[in-house]
Amino acid sequence: MQLENFLLMRHELLLLLLALLVLVFEIFTDDGKIHKIIPWITGLFVLVTFAGFLPQTEGVLFGGMFRITGMQIMMKNILNVGVAIILLQSAVWLKKPENSGKISEYYILLLSTLIGMNFMISSGDFLMFYLGLELATIPMAVLAAFDRYRNNSAEAGIKLILSSALSSGILLFGLSMLYGMTGSIYFDAINANINQSPLMALSLIFFFAGMGFKISLVPFHLWTADVYEGAPVSVTSYLSVVSKGAAVFIFSIILFTVFDKLSGYWINMVYALAILTMTVGNLFAIRQKNMKRFLAFSSIAQAGFILLGILNASEFGMTTIMYFVLVYIFSNLGAFGVVSAISYFTGKENMDDYDSLYKNNPKLSLLLTISLFSLAGIPPFAGFFGKFFLFMSAASQGYYWLVFIAVLNATISLYYYLLPVKAMFINKSETPLPVIKSDVYTRIALILCAVGIFGVGFYSPVYEWIYQLVLQFGI
Amino acid sequence: MMLTASQFMFYFFALAIVIFSILTVTSQRILRAATYLLFVLISTAGIYFLLNYQFLAAVQITLYAGGIVVLIIFSILLTSHVGVKFDMVGWKKRLATGIAVAIGAILVITTILQYQFEASTEAARAVEMRWIGLSLLSYEKEGFVLPFEVISILLLASMIGAIIIARKEEKNESNN
Amino acid sequence: MIEGIPLHLILVVATVMFFTGIYGFLTRRNLITILMSIELILNSVNINFVAFNRYLYPQHLQGQFFSIFIIAIAACEAAVAIAIIINIYRRFTTINVEDVSEMKY
Repeated sequence: MQLENFLLMRHELLLLLLALLVLVFEIFTDDGKIHKIIPWITGLFVLVTFAGFLPQTEGVLFGGMFRITGMQIMMKNILNVGVAIILLQSAVWLKKPENSGKISEYYILLLSTLIGMNFMISSGDFLMFYLGLELATIPMAVLAAFDRYRNNSAEAGIKLILSSALSSGILLFGLSMLYGMTGSIYFDAINANINQSPLMALSLIFFFAGMGFKISLVPFHLWTADVYEGAPVSVTSYLSVVSKGAAVFIFSIILFTVFDKLSGYWINMVYALAILTMTVGNLFAIRQKNMKRFLAFSSIAQAGFILLGILNASEFGMTTIMYFVLVYIFSNLGAFGVVSAISYFTGKENMDDYDSLYKNNPKLSLLLTISLFSLAGIPPFAGFFGKFFLFMSAASQGYYWLVFIAVLNATISLYYYLLPVKAMFINKSETPLPVIKSDVYTRIALILCAVGIFGVGFYSPVYEWIYQLVLQFGI
Repeated sequence: MMLTASQFMFYFFALAIVIFSILTVTSQRILRAATYLLFVLISTAGIYFLLNYQFLAAVQITLYAGGIVVLIIFSILLTSHVGVKFDMVGWKKRLATGIAVAIGAILVITTILQYQFEASTEAARAVEMRWIGLSLLSYEKEGFVLPFEVISILLLASMIGAIIIARKEEKNESNN
Repeated sequence: MIEGIPLHLILVVATVMFFTGIYGFLTRRNLITILMSIELILNSVNINFVAFNRYLYPQHLQGQFFSIFIIAIAACEAAVAIAIIINIYRRFTTINVEDVSEMKY
């Protein structure tokens, strides 16, 4: 193995270097001055994000355990963009006095979860996949329990780690059966030896249930709302956007490339779960009054829409999934950014508090409106194209009934996404929220989200670019 | 029918695993449940010995039985009153869960029993420590150096995480 | 492999252990006992991997290494979970699920 082979692991190594830098900085700095790390680490991470877009060769390392192709690089870049926005949004929260002793730990934990997701996406065997999954989950539970002075933050942490441990146990049971039948843990060898026996179907079901927990598909979603509400806002947005996106990426890669001969089994499961997830997520979202819980349930419904793309096991399906996740990152982070800014400066999180928000905070209300419109899939914004391509990809396989149900669900979601908009612009309030002067980090993050929502939607080469990369990967 | 020594040992360990795992999830005294868990883990190590995986059995005993169970017992002593019986969920829920789980187990077991596993025809190798060590540091196929390095990141992150969550609160935090 | 013991018998033992763990996870009301149920589940998976490795593919080490990594990750999981449980105990002075749960649907 030559030294330049390490360049293939550029994303992971840069992130690891960044985490180690934080560690070294922590050792050599006085306790009172740790907050000076915030602009540095945020700036360096933005640089790392840009470095991710540099051209890179493809290859396979460690005897097939680590695979890197243009598509996987693109997936990692999408995640990096999301994390860059989250780091910008979390700066103001980290500066609070109760977090003063934990700033560098926050960065180390966040970066190590991101390293885990990157390894998971690049994995070429089930051991690296499992390791990446756990590396992305265990430090995440610590992040969810980060606000030690709040009761429900600790509750969120324990719920996340126990339910994820159960789900990985179920997943592993399926993987052990798979190993018994195929004699290998490498993706290509498993794919070559797959058979159509009932035990194979059973192990696929176990795998599916385990991943269903991670993506919070409906029968396995019970942990989601409590964790999302209890965790600090920046962690919630991380969980609901980046973590979910990474899980969806590897889930579809494994279904398309390892279990492609079993598609007769898993297409039906995806079909049923898509309907359940969209409908139940929507029905719960309508009832929510707390903005964080509202966004949490709506993100469950969005996961149901992503499943439409998985139904089309082709380059087209994969491209729509990646494109949708990219759009979803900008839209959801825009919404979470506004909610967290308002929650941080006023402590208000309920939808009633947003009445007449437009009066004093026109920019924030406009941005929240754009984000919600994009999430709902209203035409000029990027979210419309994301949903439209998903519907197209399912329809091209002949799933017209499913597309019909999905369109119905999109209409229902339109109703509840408009509720906060109505509150901001139409509802009258005696005491609207005061003028909020957000800090420079939050502003940059929100501007980035707005640019993304418009840019990805109107600039069609983005979609073409992803499509070319997926073609090279070959499904 | 005469049992050979290794057959007898296997049946002994298998019975111990089944009985003690059921006791682990039904016992009402938490410290006893932890002890039963310890018995399950040690019996598992016994099966690894019978299968001739000495290294794995040693890892099982040191890490699982010696590490995790001791950690669990410590946390029990910190958080619970030893000897107090804790409440169970209602018998209806227990019965319903028990039936559901039993159906699932029977389903999985029948599916497994129906499947004819095919043993590989390649010659077996004795599991020497040298082979394990070389595989762990090899970067070729069947080498495990990458997971070995990645898990070190996980260990570091978990250590940092456990410390910041469990350490005593600082002044400016307890004011809230 | 053990003389006179079929592979299926080991798998049945592991499956029973797995579902016992699931039962415990669903019925237990104490956070530490829930954690113990999860250890049972992971342990049953380990037995599966090792038995397959020994009986079917003894010329490789993949199953055995998978078990070793599962054991290490189980240790990480237990450490973090117990840290959070201790923090919960400080806040609520109990570790029963009903008392801890502040949030409802």
